Amino acid sequence: MFLVALFFSILIGVFIGIFTYRNPKFAAPVLNGLNVVESVPDVALLVLLLPIFGIGTEPTIVASILYSLLPIARNTYTGLSNVPRVYIEIAEALGLTQREVLFQVRFPLSLPLIAGGIRIAVVFTMGVVTLGGLIAAGGLGAALQNGIQLYDMGTILVTGAWVGFLAVLLDGIAGIIESTLKARYGTWS
Amino acid sequence: MTIKKLFDRVDSVRLENITKKYGEQFAIKNLNLEIQGGELLILIGRSGSGKTTALRTINRLIEPDSGTVSINGADVREFDSVRLRRNIGYVIQNIGLLPHLRISENVGLLLKLEGWNEEEIRKRVRDLLTLVSLPPERFMDRYPHELSGGQQQRVGLARAMAMDPPLFLMDEPFGALDPLLRTQLQDEFFKIKKELGRTIVFITHDINEAFRLGDRIAIMNNAELIQVGTPEELIFSPVSDLVSEIVDSKRKYRHIDTLKVGDMMQPLAREDTLDPGMSAESALDLMVRKGLEFAFVMGKSEVSGRVCLNDVLKARTRGIELKEVTRALPLFSSDTTLIEALAKLKSEGESMGLVLEDNEPAGVLFSDRVLQNLI
Ligand SMILES: Nc1ncnc2c1ncn2[C@@H]1O[C@H](COP(=O)(O)OP(=O)(O)O)[C@@H](O)[C@H]1O
Ligand SMILES: [Mg+2]
Repeated sequence: MFLVALFFSILIGVFIGIFTYRNPKFAAPVLNGLNVVESVPDVALLVLLLPIFGIGTEPTIVASILYSLLPIARNTYTGLSNVPRVYIEIAEALGLTQREVLFQVRFPLSLPLIAGGIRIAVVFTMGVVTLGGLIAAGGLGAALQNGIQLYDMGTILVTGAWVGFLAVLLDGIAGIIESTLKARYGTWS
Repeated sequence: MTIKKLFDRVDSVRLENITKKYGEQFAIKNLNLEIQGGELLILIGRSGSGKTTALRTINRLIEPDSGTVSINGADVREFDSVRLRRNIGYVIQNIGLLPHLRISENVGLLLKLEGWNEEEIRKRVRDLLTLVSLPPERFMDRYPHELSGGQQQRVGLARAMAMDPPLFLMDEPFGALDPLLRTQLQDEFFKIKKELGRTIVFITHDINEAFRLGDRIAIMNNAELIQVGTPEELIFSPVSDLVSEIVDSKRKYRHIDTLKVGDMMQPLAREDTLDPGMSAESALDLMVRKGLEFAFVMGKSEVSGRVCLNDVLKARTRGIELKEVTRALPLFSSDTTLIEALAKLKSEGESMGLVLEDNEPAGVLFSDRVLQNLI
């Protein structure tokens, strides 16, 4: 469930990032809109989504995606816009079209920053997915919420530790990807 | 492999009345320059004199405020700029490799975009890296930041050659290298240049590099073209003090008017020359034995000149005497002044002349060797 949420967040987030980069008119409204979503408390967001998606997995996934979009989209947008001018000039001098410059140069050179955005998204998603237990989304979140409701300290500790461990692990993996990319491209970033 | 070539060969690149201003300041001012097909033209001048700007008008990276650039007579604005750039090899100042691509990907980028298949690209990239003396298996899979400056410059050179363009623009391709590596790269480049036989516009701020590589040299200063000509023309007839200063003639060639032909000739002994009366058969024998492509023909007081192997072969089949196929050369005595001799060679369009002492052959004067010895 968590991975599904993350997968869609990345897909949509990167798409929004590229879209806003290519249509700068939309950049401010779209990113500000996402900012507003971001500031809605997670429990409130879940409750808001209940009437639309009903109880269960869907609202949780949708909520995680909504939360994760901002960091990914924003980092994608910032990354694309801030690729050093020299590399763009090189690509143009060689005879790349604008589209090729975007996908062959800007996008790959933004990957470290995009990976950074995904890292933040991972942490957000973990939080929301855990809360999802409240609305019968199943998974670790459900076990955790059960523990809380029954006041079973053991369950809370075990599932809590698991959630924490998973969060750290995923964050670590994303971090490694981010720094590998940076190292590979040399010192420019 | 769907490369549409804009031109198979470049016969001329013409910059006419080009002006480009940044704000109130001229980057180039009313520039007129013609680059001939097959030549290597050097653009030289101080930093900020407008060399890069001039170069970049050719592949439309810079659109001039006024004036026209044309290739083979066609205004470059008639070409799609992407197509145009892919048909012109460009070596970018400060190397300009893309940091996220492996060496093989940097070199093969345009080939990939042009739809070559993986295997063709790999083969081409291997050949190109070999050409610039980078063993492919050692370098293909590395990233630019893992290479030294000199290695990166070779990669830049290889990349410019990927599409096999008929025209190259090279912006200080050997800049920022230590002198030893620079000389080495120049030697390699000279070989490559000969093999490729392409039209090249080459920017440098190093006059020695200009003399080593250039067929003609264009001197720029303060956004203007000051003089364009062969190394000899710049040295022997500079249009201004600035030109003499740049070609350094004040210092190095101060003594040239005191030099005589005898000081600069290559010695030639009687036994190294052919007698005009000798048969083509024995002349051929002699030349083949000595491995000569051409030989000098000298008699006591008869015609003197040179023959090449081909002429001798012709003379043999047609059964005529050697002197019938001998091409006359200008004659000098060893106390002719060098200036006078060079001027004569130039006016007759000859690259060498014979030197006599007491009517005996004494040596040969090669105009390009004179220059090399002086530099
Ligand atoms: N994009 C630009 N904006 C403003 N001024 C520029 C720009 N490009 C070049 N110039 C100016 O134009 C002049 C010529 O530059 P350039 O052609 O790069 O010189 P060179 O290659 O001979 O060193 C310089 O004075 C430089 O500062
Ligand atoms: Mg320059």
